Amino acid sequence: MELKTIGLTKKFGSKTAVNDLNLTLTNGVYGLLGANGAGKTTLMRLLCSIQSPTSGKIVLNGKNIAGLGEKYRTLLGYLPQSFGYYPDFTALDFLLYVSALKGLNEKNARKTSKELLEAVGLSAESRHKIKTFSGGMKQRLGIAQAMLGDPRILIFDEPTAGLDPKERVHFRNLISAFARNRIVILSTHIVSDVEFIAEEIIMMKSGQMIHFGKPQEITSEMDGQVWECMVPSAYAEKYAASFHTSNLRNTDRGETILRIISDRPPMENAVRVQPNLEDFYLFYFKGDTEE
Amino acid sequence: MKTLLQYELRKLFSKRLTQVTLIGLLLLSVLLGFSSYHNMYAFDGKSREGTGRTAVEIDKSVAEKYEGILTDKKVQQMMTEFQTTRDLHGMNAAYLYQNALQSSLFCRFSDLNGGWNGLSVSDVFGKEEIRIGYTYGWLKTSKNMVRIIVVLSFVIAILVAPVFSGEYGGVDNIILTSKYGKTKCVTAKIIGSILAALMVTSAVLAINLADAFIRYGSSGLDCSILFAPADFATEYIPFNITCGTLLKYQILLAFTSTISITGITLAASAVCKNQMAALAASAAIYIFPIMLPVSETSSLFKIVALLPPYHAQFVSLMSVEQISGNVLYALMAVPVALIFMGIGAFISRRIFVKHQVS
Repeated sequence: MELKTIGLTKKFGSKTAVNDLNLTLTNGVYGLLGANGAGKTTLMRLLCSIQSPTSGKIVLNGKNIAGLGEKYRTLLGYLPQSFGYYPDFTALDFLLYVSALKGLNEKNARKTSKELLEAVGLSAESRHKIKTFSGGMKQRLGIAQAMLGDPRILIFDEPTAGLDPKERVHFRNLISAFARNRIVILSTHIVSDVEFIAEEIIMMKSGQMIHFGKPQEITSEMDGQVWECMVPSAYAEKYAASFHTSNLRNTDRGETILRIISDRPPMENAVRVQPNLEDFYLFYFKGDTEE
Repeated sequence: MKTLLQYELRKLFSKRLTQVTLIGLLLLSVLLGFSSYHNMYAFDGKSREGTGRTAVEIDKSVAEKYEGILTDKKVQQMMTEFQTTRDLHGMNAAYLYQNALQSSLFCRFSDLNGGWNGLSVSDVFGKEEIRIGYTYGWLKTSKNMVRIIVVLSFVIAILVAPVFSGEYGGVDNIILTSKYGKTKCVTAKIIGSILAALMVTSAVLAINLADAFIRYGSSGLDCSILFAPADFATEYIPFNITCGTLLKYQILLAFTSTISITGITLAASAVCKNQMAALAASAAIYIFPIMLPVSETSSLFKIVALLPPYHAQFVSLMSVEQISGNVLYALMAVPVALIFMGIGAFISRRIFVKHQVS
């Protein structure tokens, strides 16, 4: 399966959300990274065919998705950024409704819905109304509905928002197990989530793709540019402000370890360390407005 | 499709606002039926008088004596029976009310003092054959139902307003990316809305008619609406149809009103991003024809009267023209309602399916 964007552009008035994007996705997990306003959500909506491109097209195995209609939507599973639900529906009812929308037969729908509720840890609450759910529970329900019907293309927009660390780990494992022979695209601000499960990273800035590759390939671009150095805690903030600082960690000896991105050693005691995706993200998006 | 339809119906009826308005409508029906029944008054001209059930019994027993075709002989007999003996203090006897039959008689055949005005049946009704009997109960029911059907139209708008607009809060993302989201789901929404609206209308009409049947029985349904008490004599439908036919038309027009408002609201629901805006828009479109400066005597009124609010407030539409016998111009409301529904379904489907999720 090959999903391809060709010269994909989406404009909202004078603002270009996605700008001439050429991308080829085959089976695998893709992490979509970028600051807010980078065009991630718009790209996902275009891929889901709930927004139409201003120019360019999206093709699946050589066919424009605009003409595929139901055939394309049968392959889709989507968790939107703002997941809507019916407050008076129970979790199970909601999944059964989505199953009906996806064309699953009733018997299969019930079985799959129960399995997915179990998988996202909501089986005990399957008969509870959604309006009684916490944010994390709603998000898990959203993940379950996206996975209904065994979709071949799974698109998650901020899937780990609202999940606690344990739930995030659970989600990562769930996606890893589910991702075989599928195209899975997920966007998140939590870089570590992407780092753990994505085989490829798509980095977007101002509607354009600025990097595409495996996490190791991307981070290797910064080899030799990430340093850790220890400074007295009293001066930590002053030092941090002077450099591209990706992390500060206080020790119990009144000192602070700074993680700094720089071409040259930022100070005498600086130690070169292995870069990670978060360093890369912060380096590229430093200064971008977080909405 | 069946499953999707069931879910759509469930969504429609699970809204708190809908439930509250449906209960309100039910209470209004009960209240109007109860109050008009208990406010009925009748005096048999001799010794018996009363309100409510007693009044209905008196009216029925008085009407029983003269049941059948209205003749000049019956007019004279009734004038004699209901001849007033008291001083009217200058009041026009046409407005004197003892019982339903007396009122029906006096407003057409009495002079100012309660004596015969010299008119014959053919002078008043032409060549029409007027069947008389106890019609007051059903005419009162019909009058109450006008108010109920007007309110019902707004309840239908409340019921249908969230069908599409309610999805714009985020569920549209999920619906439109699902296999049947742009096809069967939209069809289920439209069919579900029509079904729900028809179900509510049927229930409301059934309750009102059953209530009236229990109170008044079936007597008078085959009698003419022209020989009616004073409060129906003026500005009422001027055609010689029976009470039964009147009710059949009213039922039909209640359904055409429902179908029209459903079509209007579906379109507004797809256009507006929230249900209150959809409700306001559909209500505005619905009542707009009433605001038009077109008098009932204008030839343009024939067209304006076919618009939805006149289906609910059915007297004006029913009064436009009698084509022949029981066939009235009001029947044209059926194709008009279907046009409103068709346009509403087309617009709502197109807008919802094509809308860009934001």
